[in-house]
Amino acid sequence: MRRIRALIGKELVDLLRNRAALVPVVVVTLVSLIMPFMIIFVIPRLSGQTLARDPDLARVSRVVGAHGSLAADGQIQYFLFQQFLTLFLMTPITGAMALASHSIVGEKQARTLEPLLATPITTVELLIAKVLGAVLPTLGISLVGLAVYFGGIAAFAAPGVSRAMVSARTLLLITVVGPGAALVALQAAIVISSRVNDARTAQQFGVLLIIPLIGLLVAQFSGSLWLSATALGFIGLGLFGVWILLTLVSAALFQRESILTKWK
Amino acid sequence: MISASHLTRRFDARVAVDDVSFEVAKSEIVAILGPNGAGKTTTLRMLAGLIEPSAGAVTIDGVQLTRATANSLRARIGFLTEAPGLWDRLTVRENLRVYAGLYGLAVPELAVNHALEQFELSDRDATAAAELSKGMRQKVALARTLMHDPPVLLLDEPTSGLDPEIRRSVRNLLEERRRAGCSILVSTHNLDEAERLADRVAVLDRRLLALDRPSNLRQRLTTGRLVVRVAGDPKTILPVVRRFDAEALVNDGLLILNFGDGHLERDTPSLVSALVGAGARVLEVRPEIPALEDVYLHLVADSSRQIVDGAKAERS
Repeated sequence: MRRIRALIGKELVDLLRNRAALVPVVVVTLVSLIMPFMIIFVIPRLSGQTLARDPDLARVSRVVGAHGSLAADGQIQYFLFQQFLTLFLMTPITGAMALASHSIVGEKQARTLEPLLATPITTVELLIAKVLGAVLPTLGISLVGLAVYFGGIAAFAAPGVSRAMVSARTLLLITVVGPGAALVALQAAIVISSRVNDARTAQQFGVLLIIPLIGLLVAQFSGSLWLSATALGFIGLGLFGVWILLTLVSAALFQRESILTKWK
Repeated sequence: MISASHLTRRFDARVAVDDVSFEVAKSEIVAILGPNGAGKTTTLRMLAGLIEPSAGAVTIDGVQLTRATANSLRARIGFLTEAPGLWDRLTVRENLRVYAGLYGLAVPELAVNHALEQFELSDRDATAAAELSKGMRQKVALARTLMHDPPVLLLDEPTSGLDPEIRRSVRNLLEERRRAGCSILVSTHNLDEAERLADRVAVLDRRLLALDRPSNLRQRLTTGRLVVRVAGDPKTILPVVRRFDAEALVNDGLLILNFGDGHLERDTPSLVSALVGAGARVLEVRPEIPALEDVYLHLVADSSRQIVDGAKAERS
């Protein structure tokens, strides 16, 4: 644990000194923060049409179930804020993908990997530290964004929406599904980073990991994907399980020898 | 104590290290010399548990290095890699602090402070590694290698790029570690350093060509030359030495007799008798001792010849 902590500390200090690397995460977070408020408040106001007058939107918003206290417009706002919450939790991962894909190959290119591997650190510890080094700042930025997101909902949404947002479903999304998805995606990027021998290739492959997130986004807004709190709980647990499995697989795939002797 | 037994490492068809066996005792420094591509770094990496040997075994302080023991043994080893490998954006102190954590030191800050003081880096502790000179980077890397007080040190070119003053302080430090009971294996291209520092020198060119004390190694290679110093002008004794089967040369007030592959040992007593008989006042007579560099070049050239001959024999 001490070794993981030491290496995470290094990753965070390194990022702090290279804040430009976090710019994509911040930009993606800002875009995902601005977008729901634009769609839910600004565009209807500019067009002079309320959300409730859109029959398709009214239809798909019914998947959230009846919230007795919410008016028709509030029901749609609640649906959209819930859907955007998932998007909001996932999109910062895309920004952090470059960080994760660069993690192992970057150490090799900076010639810092060999002294690191000469310490008692195990491969699993190294990989966990690397993934957490990318996940923690990403989640940190997400959390700040979330505070603004919920602040915005409390300030601008229809009466009862912010109260409806405080639910087991929201809590699961924030504490389990979001971090789980980040761990899985970034761990996968680290596997790539430890299997390719230059940073550009790692990033190219890393971009492919965004495709499932785009799929999720499309499914969400077509109204065909509405997951209950129970389903989210299982998905969250599943994601953590996949992460553990992925960590073990990546440890098995991590070839210290090849990295040291064949990568230039 | 480090023990390498029949270490062999192949990379596909290429043999990088071939059946190398040696030991480094406690309180001993062994220097590995060898040309580029001789397998020095590969040997060090195998000893550090970073790569596995294709055959043979490594034992550190009586424990065989295996996948199961590698992590715990690495805690007992200080491995200085060829490149300093510092994190550029981190300061000197931060670089050391991370490694103190990685080695699980009980009081990391105390160990870091000690290392900074020992290497006279305290005034640079807040400097980013990227801003350090090559020599300073190497010093920080050395501080990092020694910080956890390992009983086994594996150092790949520890004084490479250092100025003479820092080189000397590194040598002093290694001597200190030797006195403290460390087993130290140093790879170097610097023959002078090997001679000054090491108790024994290993000459490696994929195979272990020699392993001995520097003085013994020098004695292995006879130059066939005898150095004679007499009072007065050495040219006056030339008529006496011409009776012997040796080329004579006067250089810098010394008479140098080259017996070639002839009988230096057999003829030396008669030569001294003849000189004394002729009234020469003989001050010094000694066989010319080759420099370690001559021995090294001779061994490596011999090895290359054997490899070429072997390849020719294989082809035919």
